[in-house]
Amino acid sequence: MDINKIRQDFPILQEGQGRKKITYFDNACQSLRPRQVLEAINQYYLKSSACSGRSMHQLAAEVTRECDQARTAIAKFLNAARKEEVVFTRNTTEGINLVANSLGLQKDDVVLISDKEHNSNLLPWQRMAKKVGIVVKIVPSRADNTFDLDAFEKRLDKQVRLVSLGWTSNLDGVTIPAAEVIKKAHQNGSLVMLDAAQTAPHRKINVKGLDADFVAFSGHKMLGPSGMGVLYGKYQLLEKLEPFLVGGETVVSSTYDSCEFLPPPEKFEAGLQDYAGMMGMGAAVKYLTEVGFDAIEKQELLLNETITAEIKDFPRLKLLGPADPRLRGGIVSFYIEGVDSHRIALMLDQMATIMVRSGQHCVHSWFNAHQIKGSVRVSLYFYNTLEEAALFASSLKKIGKVL
Amino acid sequence: MFCIVAFVVLGILGIFSASNRQLAREALDCVLRRVTLRPCNTGFDEKMKAKILGFVIVRSEGGARFLNRFFEPIAWVFFVMLMASSIWSVRGLYLFYTSGSCNGLNQAGFCVFDPQGSSNQVSGLLQTCKVNPPKQSDLTLKGVDLSGFPVLNQDATDKIVFIGCYHCDYTRATYPLVRKLVNKYKVSLTFQNYPVKEPTDYMTRVGLCAYQQDQAKYWKMNDTFFATEKANLDNAAWLQSTLAGLGFDTVKLNLCVAAPQTEETAKKQMAEMIKTKFFGTPTVFINGTALVGPKPYRVYAILLRGLFYWLR
Repeated sequence: MDINKIRQDFPILQEGQGRKKITYFDNACQSLRPRQVLEAINQYYLKSSACSGRSMHQLAAEVTRECDQARTAIAKFLNAARKEEVVFTRNTTEGINLVANSLGLQKDDVVLISDKEHNSNLLPWQRMAKKVGIVVKIVPSRADNTFDLDAFEKRLDKQVRLVSLGWTSNLDGVTIPAAEVIKKAHQNGSLVMLDAAQTAPHRKINVKGLDADFVAFSGHKMLGPSGMGVLYGKYQLLEKLEPFLVGGETVVSSTYDSCEFLPPPEKFEAGLQDYAGMMGMGAAVKYLTEVGFDAIEKQELLLNETITAEIKDFPRLKLLGPADPRLRGGIVSFYIEGVDSHRIALMLDQMATIMVRSGQHCVHSWFNAHQIKGSVRVSLYFYNTLEEAALFASSLKKIGKVL
Repeated sequence: MFCIVAFVVLGILGIFSASNRQLAREALDCVLRRVTLRPCNTGFDEKMKAKILGFVIVRSEGGARFLNRFFEPIAWVFFVMLMASSIWSVRGLYLFYTSGSCNGLNQAGFCVFDPQGSSNQVSGLLQTCKVNPPKQSDLTLKGVDLSGFPVLNQDATDKIVFIGCYHCDYTRATYPLVRKLVNKYKVSLTFQNYPVKEPTDYMTRVGLCAYQQDQAKYWKMNDTFFATEKANLDNAAWLQSTLAGLGFDTVKLNLCVAAPQTEETAKKQMAEMIKTKFFGTPTVFINGTALVGPKPYRVYAILLRGLFYWLR
């Protein structure tokens, strides 16, 4: 992988335009976009700005074809059995909400989640608990924040209708053993949904190989456009799901008192869709596939190892998650005792235009349970360099001396 | 304390920059919380401290360490300085309003509202150098015999004594304002021409004779002299025709002007003026308080009718 060549694809990484050179380490929140994705989005507005599917003219046919190609590319990216298993959503949150509201959960059904879920995979279940009386059970992590398969198994009883887990944690980068989780859940007769918002950008996903039931992820964390996400679902499951949002483009026909829904995925994609977003998403998937996930993982690990080695012995610094960077993907999350995490983040930004995330990263429940005010999260991606990692480490060292 | 200092500084910067305006709003929120004895939990202090430390640390680690350690005391120092400068500014504003200068009446130091010091400019007397330069505090009417000087509304309680010069720009700027005051508040006005700039001392004698001939016409003459082009004052033909036009008996007047007795009286009156220790024109005494230079109208009015003269 030629990083210098790759970085040329990202306009925002170039100096100039009134901004200093940036070191972007907030990729878990949102990745940067390469020129290819931007061009795909632009192409829709410049060349084929029309409705997909519903109109008969040439522009509509072009949009329909492009969107279909994007869906096919994403299905291939996930190794889905068929392209109809790919439902376009706005983001991961919408995908999870769709399943939560459409699965037909009943009173006393149990949904298993972990103790460090993003609010996207916590609040929908809390809401369903209030709305229909489901029971939300928490699987505690081990002391080092890795997934505790034994604790999971202990909670896996016949009442568990769905296991909904963050595949890779945005808090500390820990990835759960999805294959084993799915296997055990299926043996128990439970469905599995994976929140892959932090996985899809960094690892090869094989939904067929894993036998995953639902997988939700967002475009904006994997070079794609904001406001575009994907819910993968096994076709036979999607067929059974009630639509979450209804309206235009979801039905074959309607009368004044009834309607006949289209098959998946259309029945879940109500209203005019974000066609430019779909095309951008298709381009993002193509770009990531060309770079290759082996190279991506290798680069992220190299960066994580470098940063971890540099900072792990800083006085008062506490790493979140396991010490071994190989278990934390592209994330280094830490706090310095007695120092507000926002202060560190702001100082890094002011000192060297290093952009990191600080606070509780939408995992308030975990921070509150552990009585930690927040952390600084460095989230890496394949376009980050060793020089940037070194700059971060030296800047943090200076901050450590001052604070 | 930091919030208050930041609010003022960012508020001023916010006039020119939207991002600073947003920060000023956050600072205001913080200030309001502090004032109402609630904790400032908006993170504003923390944010600004981090930004400042981030700025300093790349220049001096030691400086950043010092700043981090003594941030609160330093904020207090700035707060005290802010309070002191605010009080000073309010004082300056008040003095500018009441005296035309931020530094006080007749004080010529720099004033941001009057950077050129225009309200203190005078046409100086052509005098020899003095060891002790004249001071505003020396100006007085005590011991000055004003009898025989041209006076209007003699019986009025409030009294203005105006030492000016027909030919001087600053006097010419001030005279209409004083006349406006006299007309509006019916105060007494004593006027004396003191020719400091040009050799127009004969004008003093003209004024003396004109006043002796007809007091009402004298004031019309004065108004005309200050309203006309300066060049006309050097023109004998214009002077004669103007005096004639105002209804003076120019033959008698010219005889009076040429009379040695008039010369003597004029010298005597100018000697009385010197006793006031004035050092330039215009110098206006309002009920004994001296105002040197062309002040704004409000300054004269405030001395006569108080701070809220415009309500009366």
